[in-house]
Amino acid sequence: MTGQHRDLTPEAAARLTLDPGPWLSCDDCFEQMDEFVDRLLTDGPTGMPALHAHLAGCGACGEEARSLLLLVAADEGIDPAPGLRRLAED
Amino acid sequence: MAALDGPELADADPVRIPDASQGWVDLLSAPGPGHDEALARLHSLLLKAARHQVSRMLAPTIGSARREELIQQAADEAMVAVLGKLSSFEGRSRFTTWAYKFGILHAAVEVRRTVWRRREVPLDSLPEPAAAGSSPEQLAEAADFSHAVNIAIDQALTAHQRTVVLALLVDDVPIDVLADRLGTTRNALYKTLHDARGRLRARLTEAGYLEPSRTEEVIP
Repeated sequence: MTGQHRDLTPEAAARLTLDPGPWLSCDDCFEQMDEFVDRLLTDGPTGMPALHAHLAGCGACGEEARSLLLLVAADEGIDPAPGLRRLAED
Repeated sequence: MAALDGPELADADPVRIPDASQGWVDLLSAPGPGHDEALARLHSLLLKAARHQVSRMLAPTIGSARREELIQQAADEAMVAVLGKLSSFEGRSRFTTWAYKFGILHAAVEVRRTVWRRREVPLDSLPEPAAAGSSPEQLAEAADFSHAVNIAIDQALTAHQRTVVLALLVDDVPIDVLADRLGTTRNALYKTLHDARGRLRARLTEAGYLEPSRTEEVIP
């Protein structure tokens, strides 16, 4: 299949060419996600670059991490905004 | 009796107990005083996580009865998963954070599957509309880049990589749904996506559209 025309939006083109970063599987992401979220909410250094790259590049894992952060923040009475920013920016 | 015993158990909100990770693990690991109560508390946590996730995903096509059924089902499945993995809990996070992630995962997967159950998964991508609100120069630049990405998709990717990246990133098919339809796993699809992005970036870097990043790996 070559030469098929697709009118890609700039957003789709950006998603397609996102730097994938170091390799990490969805299973390994799931294993580490709770530790990462607790670190995001306690302002500690997160490290974990492969996990961060995975969350940026995998829509499902990224959504689940954001959801976990919001749930834990609500439980603890913490403002989730700084943690969400760190999740998006780190 | 371990850390879950005491006044916390009489609290009106069963999931708002002080975090005591080792207490949870001890009570859930073996029958004894507090075991049944800890199981009930864990199920409450998982129901809360599943409900939170389902409400976030706002799927208007799912009726309220099905929604409740889905929450219960996700919590039950997450309960089995948590108990099965209890020995792998290493205390690197709070126990409640660790447990919540299972409820969220099972609910998210179930919602995606339910929403897509009767939808066809497009394996040849449809055109997308051009972005609105940009200047003519930006549109021209974006169109040029999109054209280059299109060419790279056709020339640098295998047929399987094309199918996967277009379904996931252009048609927004959820990764669990695509894994079901293609008879593969979320891990395998993400590996395909990861490698495909590397190939696209290598081709576009070579063509002068992208700067190489520091983390870029050599793509075979």
